[in-house]
Amino acid sequence: MAKEGFRDFLRRLEEAGELRRIKKPVDPRHLSALMAQAREATFFESILGYPEWRAAGALVSTRRRLAIGMGCAEGDIAPRFEAGIRQPIEPRLVREAPVQEVVREGADADLTAIPIPLMHVKDGGPYISGTLVVSRDPQYGRNVGSYRMMYRTPRETGIDLVSSSDMRRYYQRALDQQRPLEIAVAIGVHPYEMLAASYKAPIDVDEFAIAGGLHGAPVELVRCRTVDLEVPADAEVVLEGELLPIGWTADEGPFGEFSHITGEVKWNPVFRVRCVTHRRDPIFYILQMPWENDWLAAPVIEAAGLQALRVASVEPVAIRAPVGSCCYWTLVASIRKRPGEGKNALLALLSVAEVKLAIVTDDDINIYDPDELDWAMTFRVQADQDVLIVSGARGKHIDPSVRAGALGKGGLPTTAKLGIDATIPEGVPKEHYERLRYFAKDAVRLEDYL
Amino acid sequence: MSPLAAHIVRELEERPRHFSEIVESHLDVPWRDFLGAWGEVRAADILQRDDGGHYLVPKDGPPPGSKR
Repeated sequence: MAKEGFRDFLRRLEEAGELRRIKKPVDPRHLSALMAQAREATFFESILGYPEWRAAGALVSTRRRLAIGMGCAEGDIAPRFEAGIRQPIEPRLVREAPVQEVVREGADADLTAIPIPLMHVKDGGPYISGTLVVSRDPQYGRNVGSYRMMYRTPRETGIDLVSSSDMRRYYQRALDQQRPLEIAVAIGVHPYEMLAASYKAPIDVDEFAIAGGLHGAPVELVRCRTVDLEVPADAEVVLEGELLPIGWTADEGPFGEFSHITGEVKWNPVFRVRCVTHRRDPIFYILQMPWENDWLAAPVIEAAGLQALRVASVEPVAIRAPVGSCCYWTLVASIRKRPGEGKNALLALLSVAEVKLAIVTDDDINIYDPDELDWAMTFRVQADQDVLIVSGARGKHIDPSVRAGALGKGGLPTTAKLGIDATIPEGVPKEHYERLRYFAKDAVRLEDYL
Repeated sequence: MSPLAAHIVRELEERPRHFSEIVESHLDVPWRDFLGAWGEVRAADILQRDDGGHYLVPKDGPPPGSKR
């Protein structure tokens, strides 16, 4: 069975009424602003000055669209993701690939020929925002991640490699030997490949095998033309080249971050392009910040929360990373609780990544309903007994409240973490929470009286 | 350097600007041409950044040891 690709996902969105087609020609400078005004994912059929190109973006800007991409119910996103990563399927190498229908090398490998958009008012340049970046280390093997890339010249982009990552480690090892690191950048792939790239897999785990597990079929890869790497054969575009061995010396950013805030100028390496390959009728994928990035983070952080709860021997029922926390900084979970497990669950959830707020409820609370959650926090919480604060845990630079600016160059921020145990307190009978029931509710129907 | 690239350099010598401000002053230029000109300015290695993310070109040229 062949796995689904980027174009299958677009078709599924359209069938569900979640894709808007724009037929009039659009200037690349206006793509992002138009996507921000559309309620649906957006497909641009004509790009001014780029006759062979089309563009699509804001594809997973809502939980519903992500669920469409994953072929599951919205509430099943985390378990679906978790099941996929548990059963990796090795990728398969193929000789022919749609993404190599057009090959441009040397002087023809020109980034100005791609409709790279300017997205935000304070961005440092046009950005390639939705990337799948493949690299290889002689010891650790292949790595796949997702990194934003800022247009610099027809042959160069910046790349944000500030945060800790496996590819950053690969680059550092190459830099120590004063050699470039070859990379290949695939643009326009199925959300499963993007999710696998976002997942913090152990360094020896192939993200393409995780994507295969999510698809339930192997990802087909093709060898690149000018670098010793493989990329998804069904991608829309691939940029082949190398990260120059210059270290973190080139200005990059600001960029509209997934925290919904404009970031700062960073110092980063430079990517030099050797070859551009693409389909005959390529679609340029624009990952529309911040929502699309947020929702791509949600399954990863939610699955990590489920795993942490199970390691703590707590039985989860549902979990969600609310969009208000950029699907990253908050986890809300309902559990089948035994005495003391409200607190155990909080300790587990607060250990996940940079989660700084965790809320735990019993399994009678629908955690997707904010009113129910408020009700649980109102009547099941005593602040002096059910609130947990941990100081000095690992934080993230782009959260302004960690005051990263005061740290100096290279400093790593810390953050405080808050846990709220909104489960029924030990010693309080469950009956005290019995909900109102209306007499004769099932015996009469309002329609009969209208 | 192309006339468009030279124009961008003069704008950045006048005062620091966000990238989008430079784009806004050349909306009549096809995007691909603008990207090409911006690439020329980048390649000239004369750009500097301030803390607000603006680009600038010092009239007397970049100080020794300035970054890429």
